[in-house]
Amino acid sequence: MNKSVDFSQPQRQSLPGILVMFANSLQKTVRALWPMLLIWLVKFDTLNKLVFFGSVAGVVVLIGIISYLQYLFFTFHIDEENGEFVIQKGVLNKTRITIQLHKIQQVNINQSLIQRLVGVHKLEIDTAGSDKKEASISAISHELATILKERLINHSQSELTENAEKNVEEITPTSFIKIGLPSLIKIGFTSNYIKSFALIFLFFTTIVENLQQLNAEVIDEDQVTNYLDTLPIYTSIFIVIGFFITLILLVNLVRTILKYFDFTIQKSKQAIILSYGLLSTKNTLLNPNKVQKIKVTQNYFQKKLDVTTIGIHQASSDAEKVKEKDQIEVPGCAEIERDAILKLLLGQLPQKGTMYLPNWRKLAVNTFFFLLVPIAITLFLNHKTEFVTWNDWFMYTAIFSVFAGVMLWFSFKNYKLFVSNDFIIKQNGAWDIDTTIIEPYKIQAIETQQFFWQKATNIGSVTLSTAGGTVSFTTGNYTEIKQLVNYWLYEVETWEKNWM
Amino acid sequence: MNEFTNNPIDINQLPKFEEVQLKGLHPKYVTVLLFNFSLLLILVIVGFSTLFYFNQDAFSNAIWMTILVGLVLILAGLVLFTKFSFHKKGYAFREHDAIYKSGLISETTTIIPFNRVQHVALHQGFISRKLGLASIELFTAGGSSSDLEIPGLLLADAQIIKNLVSQKINPPKQDEPIQIASTETPLTEEHE
Repeated sequence: MNKSVDFSQPQRQSLPGILVMFANSLQKTVRALWPMLLIWLVKFDTLNKLVFFGSVAGVVVLIGIISYLQYLFFTFHIDEENGEFVIQKGVLNKTRITIQLHKIQQVNINQSLIQRLVGVHKLEIDTAGSDKKEASISAISHELATILKERLINHSQSELTENAEKNVEEITPTSFIKIGLPSLIKIGFTSNYIKSFALIFLFFTTIVENLQQLNAEVIDEDQVTNYLDTLPIYTSIFIVIGFFITLILLVNLVRTILKYFDFTIQKSKQAIILSYGLLSTKNTLLNPNKVQKIKVTQNYFQKKLDVTTIGIHQASSDAEKVKEKDQIEVPGCAEIERDAILKLLLGQLPQKGTMYLPNWRKLAVNTFFFLLVPIAITLFLNHKTEFVTWNDWFMYTAIFSVFAGVMLWFSFKNYKLFVSNDFIIKQNGAWDIDTTIIEPYKIQAIETQQFFWQKATNIGSVTLSTAGGTVSFTTGNYTEIKQLVNYWLYEVETWEKNWM
Repeated sequence: MNEFTNNPIDINQLPKFEEVQLKGLHPKYVTVLLFNFSLLLILVIVGFSTLFYFNQDAFSNAIWMTILVGLVLILAGLVLFTKFSFHKKGYAFREHDAIYKSGLISETTTIIPFNRVQHVALHQGFISRKLGLASIELFTAGGSSSDLEIPGLLLADAQIIKNLVSQKINPPKQDEPIQIASTETPLTEEHE
């Protein structure tokens, strides 16, 4: 690698970057003008062809010139003296963005489809401050991007941990974990059903709506209904359900593979680099110190197939709307890989320690709200409107009761809290079982809560806030909870370790 | 790591947050609470009165009476609720953390260790300023759910607390004598 790149001199982006800017500007223009374009297209025959193509060509040329000027005026460099990274840009309105090197938290290298076609990358700099003034370089060669990233990160790291061990390890990042296609296929088949279902539902409703508006008879509804009517009722139900299940699985699979293709985790010096994506490659840098909360999710199928999903929640500068990139997901790790990742992030494998269980009243309360109340509501509504026959109502209610009962029972059975010296682990979920892991010294605030009617039975809840989200344990033994709170406070207040 | 010890900790020997004697809020704070409620109530009453004045036929007389009785009941309920919930509110500052307890129906205790506090703010609303009260808000990195606001403090107390917490967050250097900052702080600080 060419390490002698001089970043102290203002640099331009790589030349093919003009194309990227051109495409971006074009996209913006089309997006801004699309109603006009649509009208033009509809009235295409009546338009003067010369004027039409002339104006289109004019706009394109204009955008081209603007893109070139943007390219010309966009420079970046590292100001070693002041320890700043400087970006200057703007054709008419000059903008100068300076970022203090020690404030840089993350440097991401991403690649969109256009950038991939042209062969350039996008470099984004994430600072601890407001997210508005984030700096990005939209076209830079991969080689240059990696060198710049190293340079920026090293600066911020070396200032942060001056007295920490300075043993410079291998410069080339060592490949650590690679998630192959089989794991992704397994995950694609076993997770996110609800998300995909919602997507498909949205997609279909939009299409149907549009079709109705256009009065197009692409699919003859009657024909489909007639065909289904000729079949026995159960067969037709099976066909419809089967169709949807296949569709959901397919969408799931495609989404997972597109998003996470070639998922690689690399370890370099103090940071962890994640890169993934088929059409647009994402490259994220992860700092183990910034990790606040880890969530391991696995359901029954995934357990059998030995795959899990790990969600990593980092401290976010704006906890109100947690930024997408502060929540990283590692899909489809096998058990060994999961342990390796946990070890990498936490320094050791989390031990479960003492187990705490919720009171049986949790099951009772949940049963009341999620089983009895819905049944009562449908009973009342059906009594008023006679929407379905009572036989049907009994059948549906029975199915619902069994389903909800099983879910409630498992969600109660899986609800556990494990506390050891170094970890707090909470497990919950009926089908997808989430295991949330936090370290006590990363707690920001503790809240205990008790309803007045819970005093007699000595039940209460606790919520632990971290900079990456909260963890709460409800309907537990309040004496035990108070004891735990005292212990956690002791840990937070005596440990010298910095939470970030 | 120097002098590494790893003695077992007896959880029962740890200081207990639930046994800390909490300090109640200033009695004048009830006025602030009631004022806030009455603002809302006045709006509702004005709304109904105008309706009654301009369009008496909107509801039958019985319903008008019910509305009146309902309003009176709500008012009484709110006053009672405010009074009782006021007595449930309390705060305490320990060596290493701040505790605030509140809630009549659901009793909530929030505890924030000082070494997790990012910054402190002192707020004064319109009514609070007239009554010489202020509130203190402790911000952490855990987002709004883990911020702690202690209302109904005397302004002087609030300033002392603010300085205390500020000192806990940024401990003054050892060689510098610790100033008694509370008396020094100009009164311009609380306009927020």
